[in-house]
Amino acid sequence: MEKKQLFLFFIGLMAFAQVFGQRDGVIVLDEVILSDAKLLHFSKGTKVRVVNDSVQEKSGSSLTDLLRYNSNIYFKENGYGMVSSASFRGTNAQQTAVVWNGININSQLTGQTDFNTLIPGNYGDVVVRSGGGSVQYGSGAVGGAILLNDSFRFNDGWKNSLQSSYGSFNTSKLAFNTSLGKEKTSLQIGINRIASDNDYKYLGTDLRNENGAYDQLNINANVGFILSDQQILKVYHNTFNGDRDFSGTLTAPANENYRDLNHRSLIEFSSFNERKIARLKVGHLYERYRYFPNNQREEFSFGQANTLLANYDYKYQWNRISLNGIIDFSTIWAKGTSIENAQRSFVSGTFLFSHELSDKLNYGINLRQEIVSDYQNPFLFSLNSSYKVAKNYIININGSKNHRVPTFNDLYWSGAGASGNLEVLPETSWQVEIGQTIEVKNIALSLNAYSITTDNLIQWRPNTQGVWMAMNVQDVSQYGMELGFDWKRKWGNQELVWESEYAYTKSIDNTTKNQLLYVLEHMLRSNLAYQYKKLVAFYQFLYTGSVYTTTDNSDSLSSYTVGNIGLDYHWPNISGIKFILGLKVNNLFNKNYQNVAYRPMPNRNFQIQLITKF
Amino acid sequence: MKIRNVFFPLLIIGLSWSCSNDDEEIQEPMGDYANGILVSNEGPFSNGTGTVTFISEDLSVVNNGIYKMTNDEDLGNVVQSIGFTENEAFIVANVSNKINVVNRYTFEKIASITDGLNNPRYFIEANGKGYVTNWGDTADETDDFVAIINLQNYTVEGTISVILGPEAILAKDNTVYVAHQGAWGQNNKVSVINTSSNELIKTLTVGDVPNSMQLDASGNLWVLASGKPAYTGDETAGVLTKINTGTNEVDNSFQFETTQHPSSLNLDAGILYYRLGDTVFEQSLSATSLNMETVLEGVSFYTMVVNNGRLYGTDAGDYASNGTLTVYDLNTELTIKALTVGIIPGGIYFN
Repeated sequence: MEKKQLFLFFIGLMAFAQVFGQRDGVIVLDEVILSDAKLLHFSKGTKVRVVNDSVQEKSGSSLTDLLRYNSNIYFKENGYGMVSSASFRGTNAQQTAVVWNGININSQLTGQTDFNTLIPGNYGDVVVRSGGGSVQYGSGAVGGAILLNDSFRFNDGWKNSLQSSYGSFNTSKLAFNTSLGKEKTSLQIGINRIASDNDYKYLGTDLRNENGAYDQLNINANVGFILSDQQILKVYHNTFNGDRDFSGTLTAPANENYRDLNHRSLIEFSSFNERKIARLKVGHLYERYRYFPNNQREEFSFGQANTLLANYDYKYQWNRISLNGIIDFSTIWAKGTSIENAQRSFVSGTFLFSHELSDKLNYGINLRQEIVSDYQNPFLFSLNSSYKVAKNYIININGSKNHRVPTFNDLYWSGAGASGNLEVLPETSWQVEIGQTIEVKNIALSLNAYSITTDNLIQWRPNTQGVWMAMNVQDVSQYGMELGFDWKRKWGNQELVWESEYAYTKSIDNTTKNQLLYVLEHMLRSNLAYQYKKLVAFYQFLYTGSVYTTTDNSDSLSSYTVGNIGLDYHWPNISGIKFILGLKVNNLFNKNYQNVAYRPMPNRNFQIQLITKF
Repeated sequence: MKIRNVFFPLLIIGLSWSCSNDDEEIQEPMGDYANGILVSNEGPFSNGTGTVTFISEDLSVVNNGIYKMTNDEDLGNVVQSIGFTENEAFIVANVSNKINVVNRYTFEKIASITDGLNNPRYFIEANGKGYVTNWGDTADETDDFVAIINLQNYTVEGTISVILGPEAILAKDNTVYVAHQGAWGQNNKVSVINTSSNELIKTLTVGDVPNSMQLDASGNLWVLASGKPAYTGDETAGVLTKINTGTNEVDNSFQFETTQHPSSLNLDAGILYYRLGDTVFEQSLSATSLNMETVLEGVSFYTMVVNNGRLYGTDAGDYASNGTLTVYDLNTELTIKALTVGIIPGGIYFN
C-alpha cells in the first residue's frame, strides 16, 4: 500500500518535471553544447570572469599576454615569450589549474602550465575562475583555474577570419579560423602561426635578447554532430608545437633551445532530455619537451607523458535542484631522461549538488574523492552560495578544500644529485571567500576577500645526504582583496568602456612570516576603450608592485607601470567582407622592467594587424 | 659546488621558486679589504649574480656585495670561487664564463677575462701564470681543459687539454695538480701538470669523485674523494689518498664505508679535517687508518674551511635567501659568531 503511494508520488513528480522541463528544451541543448557545464551550475558563489573575443584581438598572441592585462594573475616570464608561470592570488605556478574543455591539462611532469605555450585566439572564450576548484577541476585549482572552452555553433553559416600581423623584432603572426555551422553539424578549425626573432634591447645596457627567438604552431579542430533530438557527439582536438631559444640573463648569455609538443584529443558523447544529461568523454593528452642545453649540438634531454582518460558524467535536474555525479578514470605514463617509465592510475568520484532555494538564494555542495595508485590523497569538498540581496546587489560566499598532487618529477625524478620522493604528500589547502557585486546602470562594482591556508607545500631541498628531493617543507597562508570597477557608457555613435581592477595580496610563510617569492602585494590594472563610429582606441595600463626575490625578503624587484596603446579602424563592409586594421604600441613609455630578476622585458615595440572577416 | 648542475635540468622545466640578488647593501665604504675574510657567494643559480662578502678579522664588520659596491657592476652568474695572486683576486663566474680580476685589498677592478673560458671552475697561480680548470661544454666529455692565464695582460694565452671534469686545482712549486671530480658525471683521476712545459706529465688514479686537496709540510698531497653517490646505481666508498709529490706516486689510501661520502678536506696545524654528512672529523697525518675522530656534530655546511684553530662553515639555508657563516673555535668546539653573508656562500678565503 505504502509502496504504491510512493510510486504514484514519484510518477506525479516526474510528470510535473516533464511539464516544467519542456520549456527548457532549448536551454538543455545549449547546455549540452557547452564543453564545461560544471561552470554553469556548480560555480555559483565563485568569482568568474569571461575574457571575450574582442579583448583577445586587442591583446598579444599568448595566454600570458591576454591574462596579464585582463586578470589579476602575476606572470613570471623568463624573458618575453619564454617559460611563463602564473601566480594566482599569491599561490604558486602549480596551484593554478588550466582546464581545456573541462579537462585539467597542467603538465603531469611539472604540475604547472607554461602560459606561453597556449594560444587563446581560437577558443570561444577564456574564463578566469578565481578561488578553489579542485572538486570540479582537480589538482592545482587552488589559487584559481583558467578555463579554455571551444564553442560549437550550429545553424550559424560559414564564417572565416584571417588575422595577420607584423611588428617589431620581426614578429609575425598569421591566424586563420573557419567555422561552419549547419543544422546538425558544426565544424571549426583554427590555425595560428607565430614567429619572432624577439631580439629586443635590454634597456639601459648595450645588450640584446640574443637567444630569444620563438616559432609556434597551434591548431584547434572541433566537430560536433547532433545525432538526434537527444544525442550529440563532439570531437575536440588541439595541437601545439613550439620551438624556442631560451633567453639568457643580464649576467649570463645563453645558447639553449626548448621544444614543446602537445596533442590533446577528446571525444564526447552526450545523451539528454529535459531532466538529465549524460556525457561520456574519452580523451588522450600527450605532452613532450626537449631541452637542448646547447642549440649548436644535438644532445638533448626530454620528458614526456601520455594521459588516457575516461569520464562519465550524469546530471539530473529536478525542479530547482541540479545533481551531478561524475566518475573519472585516468592512466598516465611518463618517461624521460630523468624519469624511468612511471605510471599512475587514478579513479575519482565527484558529486555536485546545486539548489535554487528561491529566486534570490542558491547554494551548492560539492564533494570529491580520489583513489590514486602512488600517493595519499585527501577528500575534497566545496560549499558555495549566492544571495541576491537586492535587484542590483549580490553576495557570494564559498569555502573549499583543495589539493595539488605530487607531480611525476616530484615522485620519480632520478638524475644527477636530485631525486624524486615517493613519501611526499599532496599539498592540502583550505579557503574561504566572500564576494559582493553591485550593478547599477552602467557601473559594475565587485569586491572579493579571501583567505587560503596551504599545508605541506612541496619544494625541492637537499636532504641530509645533499641529494635534492621534493619535500613537504612549508605551510603558507594567503589572504587578499580584489576590487573591480567596470563602467560602460554609450551615447550617439560613441561608446566608452572602462574596466579596472586592484588586487592586494599577502602570501606568507607561516613559520618565517615572510612574503613568498614573486608575489606582489599591490596590483592595479585598467583598460580603457573608446569607440567613435568605426574607430576604436584603447589603452591598457598595468601597475605591478614590488616583489621579493629571496625568501628572507632581503632582495626585491622594483615596481613598474607599463602602458600599451592601440587604434583599430573598422573598414566599411566591402561585398560582405569586414576589415579591421589595427595598430598597437606596446610599452608606450619605454619602461625598463623585469618580472623575473635579471630577465628584462621588451622595450617599446610596434605591431600592425589586419583582420579580415568573411 | 655542483648545485647548479644538479638543479639546472629541474629549473628548466619549472620549479616553484627562483631568486635574484639586487644590490641594496648599504654599508659604509671600506676602501681596504686587507686583514679579513672573503666569502664568495654563488648567488641564485638560475638568474642573477654572485657576490663577495668581506668580514673583518675580528668578525665585527660585515660588508656584503663589495665588488658591486666598489665597481658598480655585477660579478656574474654563479660565482664559483676566488683564486689569488700576491696582489690580485681572480673571481670566477661559472655560468657567465667570466673571471673578474680585482686588487685583492681594494677590490677595484683591473680586468675581465671572458675569451677562452668555458665553464670555468677554479684558479691557481703557479710559475708566474694563472691556471683555471674548465669543464668545457658539459655535453662534451672530451673538451675539458686548463686555461693558462697571462698575468700581465689578463688573457687566456693557452690551454692544456685534460680528461673529464677538472675541478680543484693546487700548485706545488712548478707543478700543478688537478682533481677530476667529473663535472656532471664522475671521474677518479688527478692530473699532474708541469708548468714549465705546460704539459701533462702524469695521471694518477684516486678514489671516485675527488673533491678537495691539501698539501702538507712534508710535501705530501692529500686527495679526498667522496665516492660515487647512491643515485648513480653504482655507489662507491669515499677514499682519502696520500700522494708523494716527489715521486708523484700514490703512497697510501684510506677507504671509507660504501655509504660514506666525505668532502671539504682541510689542513690546519698538521691535522686534516673533513666533513661527512652532518659531522666534522679530524685525521692525523701520520695515522695508518681512519681515525674518525669527531670535531663537530649536527652541522649542515655548504662549505667549510679550517684556519688557525678556527673552523668556518657556511649554511646555504633554502638556497633562495642569504646564507650564514658560522665561526667555531676548534679548541672549545664552541661557536664564536654567526654572520649573515650572501646567497649560497660557497667559498671562504683569508686576505
